[in-house]
Amino acid sequence: MPETSYAVLGIFDTPNALMAAIPKARAAKLGAVEAYTPYPIHGIDEALGLRKSPLGGMVLVMGVIGALTALGFQYWISAVDYPIITGGKPIGSWEAFIPIMFEVTVLFATFTAGLGMLFLLNKLPFFGHPVLASKAITGITRDRYVLALEAEDEGFDSTAAAAALRAAGAVEVEVLPAPDRSPFLTSAFILRTLGGIFLACLVAGVAIYSLTKWFPLLKPMVYMQDQPRLNAQKPSAFFKDGHGMQKPVPGTVARGHLPTAVGSQDASANLVNPLPRTPDVFAVGKKVFTTRCEVCHGAVGNGSGSLTSAYGAKAANLQSQQFRDYPDGKIYWAIVNGKNAMPSHAPYLSERERWAVVHYVRALQRAQNAKDEDLKVVAR
Amino acid sequence: MRTDAAQAGAIPEALLEPALTVGTVTPGSLDDQVLAFPETKPPRQWYVGLAITLTAMFIGLGFIGYTFVKGIGAWGNTSPVFWAFDIINFVFWVGIGHAGTLISAILFLFRKRWRNAIARFAEAMTIFAVICAVIFPLIHVGRPWLAYWLFPYPNQRALWTNFRSPLLWDVFAVNTYFSVSLMFWYLGLIPDIASMRDRTTSKLRKTIYTILALGWRGAATHWQHYEKAYLLLAGLATGLVLSVHSVVSFDFATSVVPGWHMTIFPPYFVAGAIFAGFAMVVMVLVVVRETMQLKNLITMRHLDVMNKVILAMSCIMGYSYMMEGFTAWYSMNEFLHHGFMNIITGTYGWAGWVTISCNILIPQLLWFKKARASYFWMILVAVGVTIGMWFERFVIIVISLHQDFLPSAWRIYKPTMTDFGVLLGTFGIFFTLVLLFARVLPVIATTEVKAILPDAQPSHHGDDHHA
Ligand code: HEC
Repeated sequence: MPETSYAVLGIFDTPNALMAAIPKARAAKLGAVEAYTPYPIHGIDEALGLRKSPLGGMVLVMGVIGALTALGFQYWISAVDYPIITGGKPIGSWEAFIPIMFEVTVLFATFTAGLGMLFLLNKLPFFGHPVLASKAITGITRDRYVLALEAEDEGFDSTAAAAALRAAGAVEVEVLPAPDRSPFLTSAFILRTLGGIFLACLVAGVAIYSLTKWFPLLKPMVYMQDQPRLNAQKPSAFFKDGHGMQKPVPGTVARGHLPTAVGSQDASANLVNPLPRTPDVFAVGKKVFTTRCEVCHGAVGNGSGSLTSAYGAKAANLQSQQFRDYPDGKIYWAIVNGKNAMPSHAPYLSERERWAVVHYVRALQRAQNAKDEDLKVVAR
Repeated sequence: MRTDAAQAGAIPEALLEPALTVGTVTPGSLDDQVLAFPETKPPRQWYVGLAITLTAMFIGLGFIGYTFVKGIGAWGNTSPVFWAFDIINFVFWVGIGHAGTLISAILFLFRKRWRNAIARFAEAMTIFAVICAVIFPLIHVGRPWLAYWLFPYPNQRALWTNFRSPLLWDVFAVNTYFSVSLMFWYLGLIPDIASMRDRTTSKLRKTIYTILALGWRGAATHWQHYEKAYLLLAGLATGLVLSVHSVVSFDFATSVVPGWHMTIFPPYFVAGAIFAGFAMVVMVLVVVRETMQLKNLITMRHLDVMNKVILAMSCIMGYSYMMEGFTAWYSMNEFLHHGFMNIITGTYGWAGWVTISCNILIPQLLWFKKARASYFWMILVAVGVTIGMWFERFVIIVISLHQDFLPSAWRIYKPTMTDFGVLLGTFGIFFTLVLLFARVLPVIATTEVKAILPDAQPSHHGDDHHA
C-alpha cells in the first residue's frame, strides 16, 4: 500500500501553523512539498521555493504581438487592399489605428493572462487529480490549510511522510492512494458522451425540422425587396397587354441617338457606311451583334438563332445570296426600322453602333464565303 | 496586520483603516453565509422581484420584435436627430458597467481592500450592463441579422470596414471590454465555484460546479500563477476602463456637430460613466445587503466610501459642465454658443436642468456624513444620478443634433412608445440577470474576502503588501 500512495496530506488550522511547517517538511526531503489553501497566502511562494511565474513575460510578448497584428492588419486593409481616403488624410496615416491597436493589445494580453494561466501554467481543467478525491478537499476550499508531501518516485514512504507532517504540527493526516491513471476516459464515459452528442443532434434535428415545417419562415422587414415591381420577361397585370416589359413608345429616341431613319428601305439603299473598317469598329459591331442580333440570327447570321417556333417567324438568313447582295443602307434601314417580325433596334443602338454592326454583318458574310484572295490578304 | 495592537498604537486613530467586516467572520462562517444562497430556496420577495423584472423584459423584447418587423421607423429618430434613444441608452448602459471595472481593477491596483466584498457584484453588473448596451447598436443597424458586417472579415463583396471611423473603434472597444470583463469575472469565480462544488450535496449542482471550477484544487503553485494573472488582468482592465468610454466619446468628439466637437469629452465621459455606475452599485447593494442579510460583510463603511466616490465624480461632472459653457463662450463661435444656450433655455431646456440638478446639485448632499449613512438620502442621490446621467446623454445627443448648422433642417425630436418600451426592456433584462446571479453564484467573492479577514495571513509576514 505505501508504494502505491500518491501523497500524504497534513492538515493545519491556521496559516501560521502551515507556514511554520513548510521549512520542516522541506527539510525532511521525503517528497515534493506542495500546499493547498483556500486563498493565496502571502510569502508562501518564497517558503516553498517556487520560481517566479513566467506569466508576465508571456503577456508582454502576446500584447506586443497583438499591437503589431492590429497595426499590420489595419494598414494592409486601409492602405493596400482597400485604399480609402478618410478626412483628407494620407492613405497610410496610422494615427487613427491607435484605438484599435490598443484594444487588440488588451484582448491578446487578457486571453494570454487568463487562458495561459489556466491551461498552460496550471494545466487545468484537470478533474482527475487525487487531491480532488481526498477527504481534505472540502476543508481546502473552505478554511483548512494543507501541506502535502507528494511522491516523486517509487521509494516514497507514506508512513514516514505522515510522521514528519505530524511532527511539523499537522492536526490531521490523510494518505492519498495513487491516482487512477484514466479517471476520465473510461469506456463508459466515452460511450455516454457519444450517446449524449448523438441524442443532442437528434433532438436539434427534429426540432429544426418541425419548427420550419409548422411555422412558415417569417422574414422580417422584407418590404424593400418585396415591393410591387415589374420584372422583365414576366407577366404583369399593370399593362393592358399583360406584358411586364413594354415596347418603347413609337418614335422614342435614346438620349444622344439620332432619330430613326425615315423613308423607304429602297430609298436608303444609297446610304454609305460612314465608319472606317478598323479593328475598333469591328469590335463594337461584334459586341452589338452578339448581344442584340445573335439570339435571332445565330452566331454567324445564318438565321439559326435560339428563337423557337413560338416566335411565329423565322429570322432572315443573312448568309443567303439575297442579303449578300444587299446594299449597306438597306441593312441599316432594317436595323433602324425593323422589318415585319423583326423589331426596330433604333432605341437601343447609337448611330455608330448601327453602322458598326452593318460592317460586322458584312464581315460575317465574307468569312462564310471566303475566296482565295482573302487568304492573301491575311498572308500579307 | 493593522489590527495588531502594537501597530495600531503607532498610527493615529483617524488614519486607521476601520475593520472591513462587522462582528466575527471566519472563513468557514463566510462560506456558510454566502455560499448557502444557491443551496436554499429563494424567499418570496425574490419571486416577486423576478416577476416584475421579467414582465419589463418581455415588454421590451416585444418592442424589439416590433422594431424588427417594422424597421427602425418605429422609433422617433428622424432628420436631423438620427441618433436618439438607441445611442443614449447604449452610452448609458456602457457607462453603468464602468463602476464594476473600476472597483475590480483600479481599486485592486490601489490595494483598496474594501473593494473585495463588493467587487463580485459590481463585476457582474458590468457584464449585465454591457449586455444591455450592445442590444442598442445591434438593433439600430436596422437588419440585426447582418450585424456581423460590423467586423472586418474577408467577403465576396471585397469590402473592408473603415478603420478610421470611431464607430468601428467602438465595435472593438465594446467587444474587448465585454471579453475582458467576462474573463476577469470568471477567473475570480473559479475558486469560489470550487468551494461551492465541495460543499454542495446535490448531484446536479456538483456536476455543474465541477465543470465550471475546472478542477481547481487550491494548490500553492496554482495560486502563484493565479495571483499574477489577476494582477495583470487588473492592470489591463484599468487601461480599458479609461479607454472604453473615451472611445465611446470619440463617436461624438471626432464629429463637427456643435456641442460634440470638444476635447474634454473623453475624460468627461469616463468620469460620468464611473459616476452613473457607482450610483447603480449603491442602489443594488443596499437592496442586496438588506434582503440577503449581508450587513456584516457589506458594511455601512462600504456604502460610505462609495458615496464619497460619487461625490467626487459629481464634482468632476460639475467642472465639465462649466467647462462646456466656458468653451462655448470663449470660442466666440455662434453655433457653439447657441448650442450651449439650448441646454439651459431651449425647447429641451428642462432636460438640461434635470441633468444639472440631478448630477451636480443633489449629490452635494453627500458632503454630509449623515446623508452618506442614511439609506433615504443615498438612495435619493443614487436614483437622481441614474436619471440625471440618462438625461445628460439625452442633452448631449438630442439637443446637439436637433439644431445644428443648418437652420432649415431643425426639427423637434419626439420619442415613440417603442423607444420607451425598449428602454424599459433593458432595465428588465439587467435586473433579471442581477436577480438570477444573486441566486446561483456567490454574490461576494468569498476567496478574496477570506484573504483579508483578521489572521488570514501569517503574522510574521510584512503588512505592506496585501492583496
Ligand atoms: C427578335 C429577333 C430578331 C432580332 C433580335 C434581330 N432580327 Fe433581324 N430579322 C428578324 C426576322 C424575324 C427577320 C425577317 C423579317 C422578315 O420577315 O422579312 C429579320 C430580318 C433581318 C434582315 C433582313 C431585312 C430585309 O430587308 O429583309 C436584316 C438585314 C437583319 N434582320 C439584321 C439584323 C441585325 C443587324 C440585327 C441586330 C442589330 C437583327 N437583325 C436583330 C429577327 C430579328
